[in-house]
Amino acid sequence: MAGTSYMKKALLVAFKCLVALLYISPFYIVLIYAVKSKPELAQDRLGFPTTIHWENFVNGVKQSNFFNALWNSLLSTVISVVVLTLICSMAAYIIARRKNKLYSILYYLMLGAMLIPFQAIMTPLYKDLKAWGLIDTILGFSLAKIGFEVAYTTILITGFVKSIPVDLEEAAVIDGTSPWGTFWKIVFPLMKPIVCTSAILNTLSVWNDFQVSVVILQKMEKYTLSLTQYFFFGKNVVELGMAFAVFLLSMIPIIALYLALQRYIISGITSGAVKG
Amino acid sequence: MNPRLKRKLSDFTFILPVLAVFTIFVIIPFIQGFPLSFTDWDGLNNDSNWVGLDNYIKMFSDSHVANAYKNTFVFSIITVVFSNVLGLAVAMLISKTNRLNNTIRTLIFLPFCLSMLLQSFIWKYLYQDVFYGLFGISNPLTNINLVMIGLSIICIWADTGYCMVIYIAALQGIPKDYYEAAEIEGCSKWNQFLNITLPMLGPAITANVTIYLGWGMKVYDYPMAATNGGPGRASETIAVLIYKNLFGYFKAGYGQAVAIVFTIVIFIVSGLTAYFLRKREVEV
Repeated sequence: MAGTSYMKKALLVAFKCLVALLYISPFYIVLIYAVKSKPELAQDRLGFPTTIHWENFVNGVKQSNFFNALWNSLLSTVISVVVLTLICSMAAYIIARRKNKLYSILYYLMLGAMLIPFQAIMTPLYKDLKAWGLIDTILGFSLAKIGFEVAYTTILITGFVKSIPVDLEEAAVIDGTSPWGTFWKIVFPLMKPIVCTSAILNTLSVWNDFQVSVVILQKMEKYTLSLTQYFFFGKNVVELGMAFAVFLLSMIPIIALYLALQRYIISGITSGAVKG
Repeated sequence: MNPRLKRKLSDFTFILPVLAVFTIFVIIPFIQGFPLSFTDWDGLNNDSNWVGLDNYIKMFSDSHVANAYKNTFVFSIITVVFSNVLGLAVAMLISKTNRLNNTIRTLIFLPFCLSMLLQSFIWKYLYQDVFYGLFGISNPLTNINLVMIGLSIICIWADTGYCMVIYIAALQGIPKDYYEAAEIEGCSKWNQFLNITLPMLGPAITANVTIYLGWGMKVYDYPMAATNGGPGRASETIAVLIYKNLFGYFKAGYGQAVAIVFTIVIFIVSGLTAYFLRKREVEV
């Protein structure tokens, strides 16, 4: 009996590993293609590489202007995430704590806005940004992204603030601390878990964005990593090895971020998080 | 200044940045969309003519719009069903927290973090080189009838982990004594699943189905990156069609009208789905 239950357990473990393997197996071709030369890819696409062709990375980085795109992605992500974190936690605090018609109208408007597809505001927004000279600027893209994520981020944080007890704030108010002081000294530090979660979810959203940036950033020197992948490697048939070398390079930061901070991503999702 | 007014003003400064950004970049463009949808603006020139309800009337007999709705809904239904079924199956397999299960969770969730663009590029070559090259399964992305299924598979691969995470949290919230009691009563595993697990997962199912339906209806990146709406227009979704009306077909005004009707459709479908699913949830 002990033998069969041991067998059963081993089979179950094997099955679980197989499932996991199935889900990560697509990454195999990324790793393989990225290090193969052109003749190797033509001859034997899926086999294990005999030598590692680092020049794919060197040439890919040079030809796609990779570092410029990386900088644009980093800059827009940092601007958007910092601004979103600060302004949304401020607004969420007031929405959660004060009973006021204006604030609840704003809350429900934002709840509804989460359903609006980007395409519904795309054309007017494009026209407006063009009129304000913000087309083809990282600032324009960041502002559009902030605008589009503001509703979701505020609602996510509001839910959390409602679960923080009010006693500490009341004590501070009695002591004569200003609302501004109360917020930054007492409430904001308590919001750390949700602030981390929303910052990471927004990082994923801005870094991985394609549908907003493709409308706003049309000049090559303003391309983010996504746009570089789309226009440089997706449309032109460049060398496959080089394309995948660049894909691999652009995956590394986001995979590293995920592995380091996955508990915040998971907790954000399970606390009823809803993406764009 | 009286203290009440002072407090109200200080409260308002907390809200102001969000209110401003939300108004300028969401509310105002959304409102501007309505007059725009009554024009024949081409997306390039400054001049445009008022065409009244023409765009709206034309839309309902436009076979490309009907085709895009069909593609969008096929994608939505397939991805909602399979992401949830697979997500729940995987969640039940690894719902206990231990080292092995945690590692497997990390791996299955990993594809979700990549951009949909990268997911699409990987699968483009996976279909071409592995599915066809290795197993002889023809590439669905080049087949008019299978292309939406091909795109759905990419999405299901990437999103199983997301569903899984929500279902694991929900599964862990079901009290153990329910199963113990059922075991004593001699209830089979399958009946336990039907009578305990599924009803208790009600809220999680509602959340997942509504989220996926919302994402599915707005699908844009997958067809843009994997097929560019092709072959022909066989994978053109509503979001792609609207984008192409602005950049490509030079019918921005018409695209805006499509976008407004599309928004209404999303509100109705999401609202009805959430309503019916919530009604079915058991009160706990």
